[in-house]
Amino acid sequence: MIKRLDAVDVIIVGLGAGGGPAAKVLSEAGYSVVGFDKGPWLRNREHYSGDELKFQNRSYLWPDVDLMPRTVRSDEHSEARIFNFSPVPSAVGGGTTHMAGWTPRPRPSDFIMQTLHGDIDGASLADWPYRYEHLEPYLTKVEWSYGISGLDGAEPGAGFRSRPYPSAPLGPTKFGLKFYEGCRTLGINAMPLPMSHLTERNALGREAVNRTSFWNQYGDPTETRSTVATTYIPEALATGNFEVRADSFVREVTVGSDGKATGVIYVNPDGSEEEQRARVVILALGAIESARLMLMSKSSLFPDGIANDSGLVGKNATFHEYLFAVGLFDKEVTGALNGFTGNYQSGGSMHFYETDESRGHIGGGIIATTQIGQPINPILPGKPIWGDAAKDADRDFFNHSMKIGMILQDLPQETNRVDLDPTVKDRWGMPVARITNKPHANDTAMSKWQIDKNVEILEAAGAVRTMPVYLGEEFTGNACHQHGTVRMGTDPAKSVLNEWAQAHSVENLFVLDGSGFATALGVNPTLTIMAHSWRAADYIASTYLKGRSERLVLEPMTVSS
Amino acid sequence: MTSKSEWEKLDLQIDPDSEERLFFTAHQWATIEAAAARIVPTDHDPGAREARAIVFIDRYLSGIDYVYATADGSGFLRLAGAEAHAARARNAVMKELYRDGIVELDGIAVRHGAADFVSADESTQDAVLAELSGSPKPSRVRLDEHEVFYSRLQGNTDQGKPFFETLCFHVRQGFYSDPVYGGNKNRIGWKVIGFPGPDSLADTMNGTYTTAPYFADEWDWNELLLHYKPSA
Repeated sequence: MIKRLDAVDVIIVGLGAGGGPAAKVLSEAGYSVVGFDKGPWLRNREHYSGDELKFQNRSYLWPDVDLMPRTVRSDEHSEARIFNFSPVPSAVGGGTTHMAGWTPRPRPSDFIMQTLHGDIDGASLADWPYRYEHLEPYLTKVEWSYGISGLDGAEPGAGFRSRPYPSAPLGPTKFGLKFYEGCRTLGINAMPLPMSHLTERNALGREAVNRTSFWNQYGDPTETRSTVATTYIPEALATGNFEVRADSFVREVTVGSDGKATGVIYVNPDGSEEEQRARVVILALGAIESARLMLMSKSSLFPDGIANDSGLVGKNATFHEYLFAVGLFDKEVTGALNGFTGNYQSGGSMHFYETDESRGHIGGGIIATTQIGQPINPILPGKPIWGDAAKDADRDFFNHSMKIGMILQDLPQETNRVDLDPTVKDRWGMPVARITNKPHANDTAMSKWQIDKNVEILEAAGAVRTMPVYLGEEFTGNACHQHGTVRMGTDPAKSVLNEWAQAHSVENLFVLDGSGFATALGVNPTLTIMAHSWRAADYIASTYLKGRSERLVLEPMTVSS
Repeated sequence: MTSKSEWEKLDLQIDPDSEERLFFTAHQWATIEAAAARIVPTDHDPGAREARAIVFIDRYLSGIDYVYATADGSGFLRLAGAEAHAARARNAVMKELYRDGIVELDGIAVRHGAADFVSADESTQDAVLAELSGSPKPSRVRLDEHEVFYSRLQGNTDQGKPFFETLCFHVRQGFYSDPVYGGNKNRIGWKVIGFPGPDSLADTMNGTYTTAPYFADEWDWNELLLHYKPSA
């Protein structure tokens, strides 16, 4: 007998970049909100420090692959294998607890890829059901509440912004200076990328970011990185209307005879099942796990999973891929670059963001120079692993190398998808997410063109040897970005969610993470996920829960070519 | 269950000079210590032997008490629940990999004319390791070569690798990880490559440790950027 708990207004499943803003907005609006996360609630000042072994090699934050595995395969005909695909911390705060913190804005073009490019063979391009201007106020709200630094006036081609950044950016590292030098030589406009932390000059009155450089994939013991667990979650709790249930695994969204979601069934920390009912159910587990939970939520009304009458849940998945080129410098010629420093990235560019078909591909992505890493795991591809040669490589290049990476904007394809693995189960005995994916020709072309460009920048900066790292035969999920699996759109036959990220066929079910993104963006998704969640939560608070509905009507758009 | 957020602290510290063996037999200890000394050899700089990589590996293999230091490095975390179960299962696999791997090292050494791996001379040990690795001993990275690569997952666990790769990875960890885990004695590894790491994990938590001096001293965005137009 499952214990049934008193109903609340809103359930949020997943307390990361998507769930955090929704928790804040809805609890501040006076609604009772319960938030679930399958991971623990780790406390920054108690649980995190600069321990490379623990965070980079022993998966203290990342999901334990034996307890919460995923499987991956390249197509329908190949055998799926267990792999920690697109690992995002299983903890309250989700990906925001470990991410380096790139928080660039998307561009207006990101929302209209189909209008701009038409139908591309093998891809399922679609416009978003809202545009940049609809998100802009929320991008600003996030920048000013979460805490994001950036340099105003450094990005030609950026969309309209209603307010400058609340904080100046960090100064460059030594390898950052090399990056700027290389870009300048080649006529490329570079800029310090917006980051989710504040510096000494900030308008929010908060402490400046720490400079330990234990950053990407580490938790931050000083709470000076902006994360959901240190901003929106505590702000939601302060209202008295919000409750966190950590270590609680939601295994089903339940449906009533009227076709509306009634709540969730979850496994509590003691291992027993409970049912929580609510007026609204919000999923924000990340695009892989949100799709998985929807597919697990089968009922007589929705035999293929909740809100999946279109059969599209899980399809059109995009994952980005982090690709890069490494440059080695001659230590007899170039001073130390100290690639262990910096709060991961130190200078980037959106110069190659917009489509230029002369490059042989459409779309583009952000690039940035980033840390080589700490001593155990420096990113030096092909480095010997033993003997004098290995020791020499560390001595020669640990402080004399740099890396320029890119976020690959992969095109959506219906065949790239998440479904339920037929055999592999997680620690709760539930089928795990199986990822099927293969790059589109455009992805491979973009990878080659941009990484070769990064090589040119490295050479212009003085690198003596360069090592390109291209996209291979499959995505590895190494960007830890996930989108598209529960697509937004205006047509219920071609999408699952509408412009409020509300399910077309289950009106009180909302999916507020990257799942709704019709296309992948060429920037890191976190800022957009937070703004997208805030916008939808505003709609839930001020319209849906007031018993009203509203539709966004987009003006037709003409594009001159 | 005990949540990861409430794992208790074990009052354990690792003495890098310890000769006490928690997992290895005397022979296994000597074999891995010798192999580690070929993987990160001692030259004009100290190597894995001086860093006490052997202590690091022995403690790690001993069970699940030395998997995670507490954040401040004052002890280790007592894993509980499902995580402890998973870690114990992985530890059993790892123990087996080492037991079998050491037998294999000795077997190859015998074929190379030595009594066992430990008693072989250094060049024979190198030949044994090369054979185990399936490739010639690596040669020095050159600046005039060119090679392309394809992407992989960042971060790196020790699961699912063959013995030789696992051993090299663990020796590397024993040379470069925070000294709280028993290797990298006196921060030897960090000094060899010029990494100014923290004096303690606690120093990374409270603002004591900073890499700020390694950032650029001065810069001017107007000079670095081609199109910088700050609003008034």
